[in-house]
Amino acid sequence: MKIAVVQFPGTNCEHETLVAARSAGLSGEIFRWNRPAEELSSFDGYIIPGGFSYQDRLRAGAIASKEPVMDALREEAEEGKPIIGICNGFQILVEAGLLPGLGGVDAALASNVMVSKGEIVRRGFYCAWTTLRHEAPPRRCSGSFLLEVGELVRMPLAHAEGNLVTVDPDLMARLNEDHQVVFRYCNEAGEVDPEYPVNINGSLENVAGICNPEGNVLGMMPHPERSSFAWQLQPTDPGKSVGDMEAPGPGRRIFESMKRYIEVRR
Amino acid sequence: MKIKLRVWLKIPDAEAATVKNTLRRRMGYESVLEDLGRERLWSIDVDDGVDDPMDLARRLARDLVNENKESYRASVGSVEFEGGYVPVRVGLHIEDGEAVSALKRLRDRLGFEMVRGVERSVVWKLALSSPDPQRTAEEIAEGLLINPHKDFYEIMT
Repeated sequence: MKIAVVQFPGTNCEHETLVAARSAGLSGEIFRWNRPAEELSSFDGYIIPGGFSYQDRLRAGAIASKEPVMDALREEAEEGKPIIGICNGFQILVEAGLLPGLGGVDAALASNVMVSKGEIVRRGFYCAWTTLRHEAPPRRCSGSFLLEVGELVRMPLAHAEGNLVTVDPDLMARLNEDHQVVFRYCNEAGEVDPEYPVNINGSLENVAGICNPEGNVLGMMPHPERSSFAWQLQPTDPGKSVGDMEAPGPGRRIFESMKRYIEVRR
Repeated sequence: MKIKLRVWLKIPDAEAATVKNTLRRRMGYESVLEDLGRERLWSIDVDDGVDDPMDLARRLARDLVNENKESYRASVGSVEFEGGYVPVRVGLHIEDGEAVSALKRLRDRLGFEMVRGVERSVVWKLALSSPDPQRTAEEIAEGLLINPHKDFYEIMT
């Protein structure tokens, strides 16, 4: 099972993402955006990692979404192959119309707005550990194929534009009804609070990750590759382990899910 | 009364170059998009009783413009653009945190109590050779310059 980690100019998480994918049993390579796009078809799945593609010029993900490699990825998505966009990768998938995947550019990831007790208390870039609650049924989505409903996953995030917004008043109802909301920000008890610090960026209904209607394309703002090994966890996390450098962390479940999705699809 | 500050880079504008490149090389506008420039536009609502609005504009520019790398032109009321291109103004229709911060900074920390509101937008200057430049500018705005879920645009002709 070979995956491509797609690298644009300004991507900066490609190496650790590939390491995390390999730790889950996938093989793969970094695929630079200017390689012949048709070479993508030889891979079984794709990850668009985090970073600042094209320095976030114009707006995050907008320029990368127009690259020929994204047209090729759209074709691979239509074939049912899995694609996971992490952070900037999520922003690119939204700008490309692959997520939520309802026919056009259906949403935007706007600047973070942290609201507490009805007041804006902070804006912009934020870096923190967060807890995600898995919302979709098992096997609904390629990147959470192995997760149960309500399962909690800890991982860090670091972004300035992760606040899901839309002008479509029916969008969230459609995403909820179709189980396209894959992850929500919650507290460590799994409770969803619409305000900061639980809703860490002001995103609609605490959305942290969504998939397309078919479930093979997942976008998420937090970074699973940064909690794929137990040694990466916070010092206070009971799961932290520094003795065994290969011991898994919670983020590895995303990559293991992708691997299992590819196996089942075959 | 509204004070307008048009602000542009006097060093090379990498963002404008990237947008131009994307439009020409990735989106099929190579034959019609001759050039593209970018300016920030600050629209600052101030009390009508201000004696010398152009002097106030100069003082506001000390905060809103970095003259090491930027130039600006101030006007009161309407803003006029040179010919030869289609000006497309893009702004946020959701709350603009940077504009809110600028307003607070000007009023609460820098003492500009006469400032009532601040609006921030970007003007894309599209030099087009198409038969219908306004229609082409609309296509470019909707195809790349905005995400309609957070941005609006207007053609400023």
